[in-house]
Amino acid sequence: MFKNYIKIAIRNFRNQPFLTFLNIFGLAIGMMGSLLICLYIYDEFSYDKMFADADRIYKVNVDLKYGSQAREFATAPPAMASALVNDYPQVEQATRFRRSGSMMIHKTDTKKNIKSTGNTFVDPSFFDMFGIHLIEGDVKTALQEPNTLVLTKSGAQKYFGSDSALGKNLVVENRDTYTVTGIIDDFPQNSFLRDYTVFMAMSGLEDSKSLSWTNNNFYTFVKLIPGENIKNFEEKLQSIFSRYVVPFVQKNISPDITEERFKSEGNYLRYTTTNLTDIHLSSNRVAEMNLNNDIQNIYILSCIALFLILLAIVNFMNLSTAQSLRRAKEVGVRKTLGSNKWDLIKQFLTESGVQSGIALLLAITIATIAMPYFNQLSGKMITIPFDNPIFWLILVLAVLVLGILSGSYPAFYMSKFKPALVLKGGKGNSIDASRIRNILVVFQFAISVILILSTLVIYQQLQFIKNKDVGFAKEQTLLINDVYTAGDQLQSFKQEVQQLTQVKHTTLTSFLPTPSNRRDHAYYLDGVAAQENTIQMQSWAVDHDYVSTLDLEIIAGRDFDRQFKTDSTAIIINETSGTILGLTPAEAIGKKLALDDGSNETIYTVIGVIKDFHFQSLRDDVEALGLRLESRASMLVVKLDTDQYADTIDKIEQIWNKVASGQPFDYYFMDDSFNNLYQSEQQLGDIFITFTSLSLLIACFGLFGLATFNAEKRTREIGVRKVMGASVSQVTYKLTIDFLKLVGIAIVIALPIGWYAMNRWLEGFSYHTELSWPMFALVAFIVIAISILTISYQSIKAAMANPVKSLRTE
Amino acid sequence: MLLQLKNISKWVQSGGQRVFLLKDINFWVNEGDFISIMGPSGSGKSTLLNIIGMLDDFDQGEYTFLDEKVHNLKEKHRANLFKQHIGFVFQAYHLVDELTVKENLEMPLLYKKVSSSERKSLVADMLDRFNIVGKKDLFPSQLSGGQQQLVGIARALIASPKLILADEPTGNLNSKQGEEIMEVFTQLNKEGVTILQVTHSEKNMTYGSRVINLLDGKMQ
Repeated sequence: MFKNYIKIAIRNFRNQPFLTFLNIFGLAIGMMGSLLICLYIYDEFSYDKMFADADRIYKVNVDLKYGSQAREFATAPPAMASALVNDYPQVEQATRFRRSGSMMIHKTDTKKNIKSTGNTFVDPSFFDMFGIHLIEGDVKTALQEPNTLVLTKSGAQKYFGSDSALGKNLVVENRDTYTVTGIIDDFPQNSFLRDYTVFMAMSGLEDSKSLSWTNNNFYTFVKLIPGENIKNFEEKLQSIFSRYVVPFVQKNISPDITEERFKSEGNYLRYTTTNLTDIHLSSNRVAEMNLNNDIQNIYILSCIALFLILLAIVNFMNLSTAQSLRRAKEVGVRKTLGSNKWDLIKQFLTESGVQSGIALLLAITIATIAMPYFNQLSGKMITIPFDNPIFWLILVLAVLVLGILSGSYPAFYMSKFKPALVLKGGKGNSIDASRIRNILVVFQFAISVILILSTLVIYQQLQFIKNKDVGFAKEQTLLINDVYTAGDQLQSFKQEVQQLTQVKHTTLTSFLPTPSNRRDHAYYLDGVAAQENTIQMQSWAVDHDYVSTLDLEIIAGRDFDRQFKTDSTAIIINETSGTILGLTPAEAIGKKLALDDGSNETIYTVIGVIKDFHFQSLRDDVEALGLRLESRASMLVVKLDTDQYADTIDKIEQIWNKVASGQPFDYYFMDDSFNNLYQSEQQLGDIFITFTSLSLLIACFGLFGLATFNAEKRTREIGVRKVMGASVSQVTYKLTIDFLKLVGIAIVIALPIGWYAMNRWLEGFSYHTELSWPMFALVAFIVIAISILTISYQSIKAAMANPVKSLRTE
Repeated sequence: MLLQLKNISKWVQSGGQRVFLLKDINFWVNEGDFISIMGPSGSGKSTLLNIIGMLDDFDQGEYTFLDEKVHNLKEKHRANLFKQHIGFVFQAYHLVDELTVKENLEMPLLYKKVSSSERKSLVADMLDRFNIVGKKDLFPSQLSGGQQQLVGIARALIASPKLILADEPTGNLNSKQGEEIMEVFTQLNKEGVTILQVTHSEKNMTYGSRVINLLDGKMQ
């Protein structure tokens, strides 16, 4: 019997190759898209699960609100880890990481530096806590002593090539010598340590011994004893505040502070935890260890995957029921020959199962081909897990479920045909079916409309970001990295570059509005450490040419000036800082701001106020910022006066090689760096446009199939109309308008939904574009245009046919 | 007695009024009968045939088939009864276009869950009996109308039903083909198969042993 089903299924495919192809290909595309997205999501959820006790490992965070500023740190004070291990029996062990920016490293036998970006100090408990096995070296002694470090395999490869690295020395920043005491495996791409290659002993870092409870600089991980309830632990964690923080502040900063006073003013200091495996998707705090993803993106992608597969299923149902009229006679005959309803349902489900199986094979083939492109799109390294039996099991289940889902409606619908009716040439109960088909078409196009609208909004927001006046000049600006390696030649490097005719301005700094260093300090207005006088402010080290090079606008006071020796204790603040302190720009000039770095206090005088510029993503509001003169700098910013970049960069590199021979010359453009800020939005946009296209393609397949079917079904009607004198264009219009009505309904339903969803998304940006009517009109136009293109071929073909021929077919 | 209809009526509601398709039909069929149902278009011939074939319901009356009260039977039971004892022959043959001659013949047996070897031998018998062995791998569209109808009859017969219901079996055929088909029916009837045919043609009527005349849903 089963064989008979398969046989007739295959013969049916052969008789209807085109519709069958549309059916299977549409399903395959939906499956392919969903498969890719599912693999992506699976990968996103796999982060940090490779660590043996990941379920018991938590990162400790600090939430602080003081005065008008509330911030959530991914980091904790240096003494937190030891306090947790000593005071809390629930804590089995703790490990701290302290990121170290990029470093210049060379072997002892050469002066040639290699830049290393993935560096961190780490406690020796690191190995045991995360279950890390040393390939070479002794786990008991590695990282115990200051100036020792452990390299990953690829780290060792980078500095030592194929030579053994264990026991060898490396010179860091031309200053400190470290001994390699261990080699570990590279961390997988889905681990929070993926970017790290150099692990230095924490004991060599002075800061790590600090007892300060107001600096939050250390990523602090704890491993709880098995079975410990995390809510419970988090609750007990709060006592750290009264036990350590309050006494510390009383002793070192503000003697008269008490816990009650601090809290009564609406301030808080709370400790929270994040499970290791949740960090990648649900942690978005100040100074995260990695660029984490946002769970919202996962939700959005899940929706797209669901949409795609729904579209494909709907397509399948639509085309199958449409074709069912051709099968009506077969159903009738089978019933007169003794088939019951269930036999027929089984038969049609077998057919849809076979089709969905073929579609799956096709989907996997396309997915394999599309994988590199998708990886590029998503910035991942996903492969299809062909060697995983569970993967295959899921696929088989998917085929069954999809086959049943997509085949169920046609099967139940067709199995109900009355043989007495269909064998006389009746159409079963076709009115009912065509209504459902119409609803399905509306559904498909509604989803397409939402996706198209989303794509347009995302791109418009990206465009908005690119064109927004961010308050500083990012064009024609070259950034040269790691210039500190020039040592005492730094100033002369700057002077010589400044001499070039193609160069307008140069400035030395480590701080830029595009991703770079960030440093914030608490300042006290008039030197009084009271809450209303306190401002947590970015404090950037710049030189005299910073404001002019970045073309910042001074709205009160003046720029730094070499004439004034006192400018070494001057500060330029932004408008927002003034607002937080309750000062107009004019009032702010001349005010004193005290900075206490723990050991001594410096008083800075406000000499200027600059207009706010965006030094963070446009997702966020502009924060308080102060600029101070300081000579330490890691970057030379060069404002060019030419479009001849290559030539100028050549010249600058020549100068560099003269003043700092052997040091790497590393440059990039500020606008590229700026655009990188919005990489995740760009990525989202690209993903959207790809999958929107796919969904639209599927919807068009469906529409085309229905148009084909419709034209065929109405052959006689068209013939009659033509004999009665209807013109080709009248008939075409008649055939097209029925479908366009559906598309119109879809647009009317979908636009408000899309508007709501995208408004929510845009609200995530402090600065965003507005949704406008022209955009809605554009979406409607696109969808209608595509629909007309899809339908018209079949409509015109049917309308042009010779009526004599079509009337004879009945 | 194979079957008996007592006061069978069927109607549709139209504008609040009953329009009778069949009214007070009474007759019986004995095993071995060859009955012709005659009447003009719209007289209710096909409706009557469909009711006898259990493809259609009726609104009033009693229908007894082999001592079972059809109108009281559960759907499943009725389907079984029908599967066991009734074979259909249509005016438009209604072979499944996607199946070959052999596969078309095999289909009723599949629904009766006949074993594979038995199916093969039954199909071979039928092909032999109707002299269409050479056509067994052809599709319906490759056959002439007469040949298709032969396959249709063979298919109706293969499950050895007691009753063959033929709805204008020669309506789509030319007179020569029609005569051949009627000869086949006569032969089958001689072998003991009960035949009930709906026909327009006076000539075909003469093959039958009894005639039921219908006009506007009533027996004349």
